[in-house]
Amino acid sequence: MTKKIYQLVLFCFSLCLPNLLIAENVETIIAKHIEAHGGLEKWNKVETMKITGQFTAFSIEKDFMAWKTRSGEYYADLQLGQHRVIEAFDGKKGWTIDPWQEISYARRINTGEENVFAQKAEFTTPFFNYKEKGHQVEFIGKEKLEGLDVFVLNLTRSNGKTEKWYLDANTYLETKYESKWVDFASEMPSETFFDDFRSVDGLLIPFFVERTFWQRDRVMQIENIEINPTFDNTWLIMPKREEIKKLAFLEGKWDVKMETWSRRGTWREIGQTDSNIDFTATNILQEKIKFELTFPIDVTISYTFNETTGKYRISLLDDYTSSFEVFEGDFSGQDFVFDNSVEKKETYIQFTISNKTDKGFILTKKISHDQGKTWQKSDKFTYTRSE
Amino acid sequence: MLAVFLLLQAPITFAQESEGWTQFRGPYHSGISTENITDSQISDPAPELIWKKEIGCAFSEITLSGDKLYTTLSEKTDSLSGWEYMAAFDAKTGKEIWRNKIDSIFIDKDGFGDGPRSTPAIGENLIFSFSSYGKLTAHSKTDGKHLWQIDFIKEFGSTLPRWGFSSSPVLVDGVLIMEAGGTESRAFVAFDPNTGKLLWANGKGNASYCSPLVAEIEGQTQIIFANQKTLSSYNSKGETLWTYAMKMNAPTAMPTLFDSNKIFICTVRSSGFEIVEVKNNTVTEVLQAPTMKNDYSSTLYYEGHFYGFNVAALQCISAETGEKKWTKRGFGKGSLILVGDKLLVLSDKGLLAQIKADPTAYAEQRRFQAIEGKSWTAPSFVNGKIYLRNQTEMACYKFN
Repeated sequence: MTKKIYQLVLFCFSLCLPNLLIAENVETIIAKHIEAHGGLEKWNKVETMKITGQFTAFSIEKDFMAWKTRSGEYYADLQLGQHRVIEAFDGKKGWTIDPWQEISYARRINTGEENVFAQKAEFTTPFFNYKEKGHQVEFIGKEKLEGLDVFVLNLTRSNGKTEKWYLDANTYLETKYESKWVDFASEMPSETFFDDFRSVDGLLIPFFVERTFWQRDRVMQIENIEINPTFDNTWLIMPKREEIKKLAFLEGKWDVKMETWSRRGTWREIGQTDSNIDFTATNILQEKIKFELTFPIDVTISYTFNETTGKYRISLLDDYTSSFEVFEGDFSGQDFVFDNSVEKKETYIQFTISNKTDKGFILTKKISHDQGKTWQKSDKFTYTRSE
Repeated sequence: MLAVFLLLQAPITFAQESEGWTQFRGPYHSGISTENITDSQISDPAPELIWKKEIGCAFSEITLSGDKLYTTLSEKTDSLSGWEYMAAFDAKTGKEIWRNKIDSIFIDKDGFGDGPRSTPAIGENLIFSFSSYGKLTAHSKTDGKHLWQIDFIKEFGSTLPRWGFSSSPVLVDGVLIMEAGGTESRAFVAFDPNTGKLLWANGKGNASYCSPLVAEIEGQTQIIFANQKTLSSYNSKGETLWTYAMKMNAPTAMPTLFDSNKIFICTVRSSGFEIVEVKNNTVTEVLQAPTMKNDYSSTLYYEGHFYGFNVAALQCISAETGEKKWTKRGFGKGSLILVGDKLLVLSDKGLLAQIKADPTAYAEQRRFQAIEGKSWTAPSFVNGKIYLRNQTEMACYKFN
């Protein structure tokens, strides 16, 4: 009986043995890889990193700067051919200004880009504290890569995306990795190659990184690395587009005096209400205003910018009448004027925001029955900041 | 006695008298010069700079005949306009001899580079240029004056490609051949070079970025076009010899002929390259492999192997199996020619490397910064001298 139990234990152990060996090999390889890079102790003292150098895209070499943090934040300012590109990532979400996509303002990145920015955010390879980061690593085996003996590791990131890493079997330094990359926000396979390892404060870092994806070739040649510089978290706040910034004066909580144009040709007060105007998204300013005259009115007004027409687009959703109107407009001097002529209705409505100060502004409504040739005053809303 | 000695030495340096570099990719449309250059050591100084000068933006190769070189250039008159020119220079000094307007300047909205893309072809008395907006012009060799000009957009209904008309003219059996990308089966056209008279038109397809390959296959002159998804061949009379459905779309790199009847075709936006064999005007696939993906730079063939840019890595692969022999990075999306048994590789930033064409190992013999700036144009080699250009500079270095 004892013999049978012993045999069973031995059998089970033999089944587990290859996995144990592989697990040991993964850990051994990664330990030596980190040691080759300067050791975990030194790397654990790195909180932030600033990289400057030359970045080549479309065969044009230009300056670039990138900042990275231990918690996976990343900010870069680089030149991609003829366009300046900004990239920012807080470890989970990010944004970019990339004029190549014919978008001149900051936009949120998609999941494929988040994966790319996560790769860019690594100090060097993702193997430092990979378990803490939620990555998994599997040892595939030893191979020849362009005449070089390499260890092949499969890395599964915490986001589920996989990468294949090739580490020089002699130096344990990375020579290449394959991963998903993006071109014009579309995912595609990439190959990244490392060379020119140099010591920076005892940390060994590749100063030459070349990446190819689809027909693209990108080369990063590092010139300087600064360890633990100040990282300004405000860099990660997605900037509003310039046009929307001009409407920021509307943001706030307001007391609103409502007046109507009387037959006597004077403004007559018809009530008071309050309004809340806030950014519901980086580039969408939204007003919610309720008031009751004869009927209860509940209106949501969204201010956006229409890239196609180069004009502001304002939508007005009226909860009471279940109606939706679209207005377009722009600044005219100090005033902001928008109307619904874009909807080609019989009656045109025009709003003008004027008398802007830190404390308030006036919104005036006019009506036209002749396609905007003549306008009649209708209503006036005087906004005064309540807090 | 010394003169006799020098005469005896000369054929050793230049095994064969130069045939000029009269068309895109050289005398054999292959990127290969039959001249030789001597081995060099890494420690050797850069070859002697004969001349270097500024030149207006274009992607044309430099073509040479006699003591003159010909290329295109552009100059802006303001930020939105300017002209494309055909120009001739003294090959010994780089001094401009003449220039002639060929068209309005093509301004590349992506910033890759303005001006002409196509390489001029040199005939006996005439030079043929093709502008980015599709004007084929015959110039007098002596002063550049226009003898005739054909506007492909007006004449053939050709559509302007996004990055401009780029295909280069070729002269075959006294006929001028062009890819026109015209409507009504006028994708490929032939002209009387002296008059510009249309001799024939055939084939379907839009104007591409690929230039026709001229090859002698089974004793027959063939003009081979890789256009969209079709590889097709015509004789100089315009008769279709064969067509083949490629497993790729829209190659930019010129096809490469080898083993007398095999054709290597390749594009970067595909799963690799394809080799087809032509027998009795029937085409069969011989090999398909992922180890070479050319973008705009064409691959060349030498002794059983291909040398070319796999996206942005210089690579040697077996022509028989496609097996990768070696890879060398650091040239970006460069270009290359073969002189004797030496590869002359120009990086996309103007660094020139001399490398022995050896499949067993990457064997670099010399490198130097030849020109400055973005360099997407392959070199030309004539009489022991290399001629280089990019968007801003043109230079001549003497080898040996």
